[in-house]
Parts: sequence; C-alpha cells; structure tokens
Amino acid sequence: MELFRDDGCFTEEGLHALLCGQLDEMGRLEAAEHLAYCDRCMDRYTALLTADALETPPRSARSAVMTTIWVRLMQSTLGRGAVAAVAAVLALTMWRSGSLMQLMQHRQLTTWQPSASQSQTEETDQRLGKPVEDDDRPVKENENLGKPVEDTPHRKDKLTMADAVNGLLFGSDARRLP
Amino acid sequence: MTTMEFSAMVQKYQALVYTVCHQLVPDEGEAQDLTQETFLAAWRAIDRCPQGFEKQWLARIAANKAKDYLRSAWVRRVNTPGDQVLALDAAPPGCEPEQQVLDALGEEELTGMILALREPYRTPCRLVMLEQYTAAQAAKLCGRPEKTVSAQLSRARKMLAQQLCTQQEGGRVHGTVSG
Repeated sequence: MELFRDDGCFTEEGLHALLCGQLDEMGRLEAAEHLAYCDRCMDRYTALLTADALETPPRSARSAVMTTIWVRLMQSTLGRGAVAAVAAVLALTMWRSGSLMQLMQHRQLTTWQPSASQSQTEETDQRLGKPVEDDDRPVKENENLGKPVEDTPHRKDKLTMADAVNGLLFGSDARRLP
Repeated sequence: MTTMEFSAMVQKYQALVYTVCHQLVPDEGEAQDLTQETFLAAWRAIDRCPQGFEKQWLARIAANKAKDYLRSAWVRRVNTPGDQVLALDAAPPGCEPEQQVLDALGEEELTGMILALREPYRTPCRLVMLEQYTAAQAAKLCGRPEKTVSAQLSRARKMLAQQLCTQQEGGRVHGTVSG
C-alpha cells in the first residue's frame, strides 16, 4: 500500500489506513510529519473525523488540563506576589532601622556620580576659557610672586619663636646657629 | 479567551484530539498524555487560534505532539547500542557510516536507488543528493519544514545504506554458493 502520492500528499487508501489504525510505526511517523505541515491533507483528515469516527478518551482530559492550568496560573501570580511582598518588607525594615539612609550616604561618598562630576554650575561656566588657577592659593601670595623675598613680621615672629626654643634647649649661643 | 471558555473548548474537542493522538500513537496511556500536552500547548498559544478553524488547529497541534513523540521513539530504537547494521570497519573518525556507504557507490547506482525511493523521501533526496541543493533550499522547494526535510534525509540515508548492505550480503552469499 502506498501511503503518499507522487505529489507528496496522502493517497485515499493511506488516509483510510491511518483512520483505521493500520499503519506501522514508520507509517505513523511519516503521517504525523505530513499532517504537521500540509493544510490540504489536514482538511481531508479532519473532514473524515466525524462524530461516529471519534474515540472516547478513557478519562476526561478536561479536569486534568484545567487543574494544570490553574496550578500554573497560581504559581505565576503567587510567585510575583511573594517577590513583591518580600521586597516591600525588606525596604520597610531598612527604612525604619535607618540603614537605608546610611547606605545611601555611603554610596554618595564612595561612588562616582556622573551627574555631580559632569554637570556644570554657573561658577564653572564663568571660568570657562580662562587660564587655570590654583584656587586654594591666597591672592596675596600671588602678588608677591617674582619679587625679592623680604623679612616679613610674620617671618620675624617665627624666628623669634625658634630662637626661644633653641635658647631653652642649647643655651644663649644657640641663637647664632643658622 | 477566559479559562471558562477554554474549559468548554477542551470539553468539546477532547474526543477529537484523543482520536488523532491515538491513531498516531497506539498506546492508550501515551495518547492520553499527548492529549493533555496538546491542550496545554493550545492554552499557551490560544491567541494564535484562527477563528472557525479550532478543529484543524487542535488536530495540527496533536499531530505535532505525536510526531515529536514518534520521532524520539524511533531515534531511540534505531540508535540503540548493538545495532551493527550500519557499523563499518575502519570508518574514519567524523565520517557518518551511511555517508561512507553512499560515497562508495557509483553515480548511476546511487541515482537509481534514490529515484526508486518512495515518497516522502524521493523528492528531498533527489534535490539534495543529486541536484546539490542544501537542505534549507530543498525544504523551500518541497514546501516542507526544514527540520522535517533534515529528518527525512537522515532516514533516507539509513534506508539506502541498509539496502546496500542487504545487497552486498546477498551478493556475498551468492558468490560463496556459486564459487
């Protein structure tokens, strides 16, 4: 018996053999493969599956299928709910204990924050295009640059203090030391 | 579709799906399991169900489930250890035994054997082995899924190799008797 015609579709006798369960394992595999993609043969096959040709399953599939669907739905819903609840409890606990604030402050100190380092304030905008200056240096010292060093009163005070210490440690001769 | 509507659909088509599964897989328990798998797969893809073609759509899912089951069962049985039919002495590593047998054939002999194959193997084998199309191109030309064509080609190679082995054994016996 030929299961397939030359065009690749079921022969009439092949289709009849499938309906009567007369195909061997290889024939059933070939038939299943063909029904999986051929619309024409699927239409022919389902047209023959009328009410009197249908078999009654040994036990109803509905209860088993619907139970499985319900279990999967509940697992999905409960799973998401459980994750949300745990996250909420954790966040609340951290907030109440203050560890959340500590953690956030710690992160602000330790982590590199692109928004803070890259944003330009008005001050920085004003300095754009000007020569770079050492902002920490006092303005007075900048004025003295390039001039001969003078003994300032501040310098004298310092020497006086040094002389006093040397005098205490090494006697009056120590004042002559460089 | 709500779960209640789907439940009604299961009730309506469970006999059809079970019949398709049982006609393709004779074992009652397996057919029952495949019926359940079919409806679960249908539930997952219910948005793609074409209106008015639920019967064909469910029958197709059932046929696909049966195909997967039969294919794995066939592969398990064919590739069992101890199957010496296709094992060749001194086969180089990386070379399929079936391919080695086919490579040893003359062009005319191979063409004759391929054209003598029955459908659904003849057309993909002709396209791939004789006309040098790839499996993907052959699948497109045949209007079949690529995976199906690959499986059919693999099975056809085994068939050809088995035919050749049978012929060789027959020739050897014949030679011994006549010699």
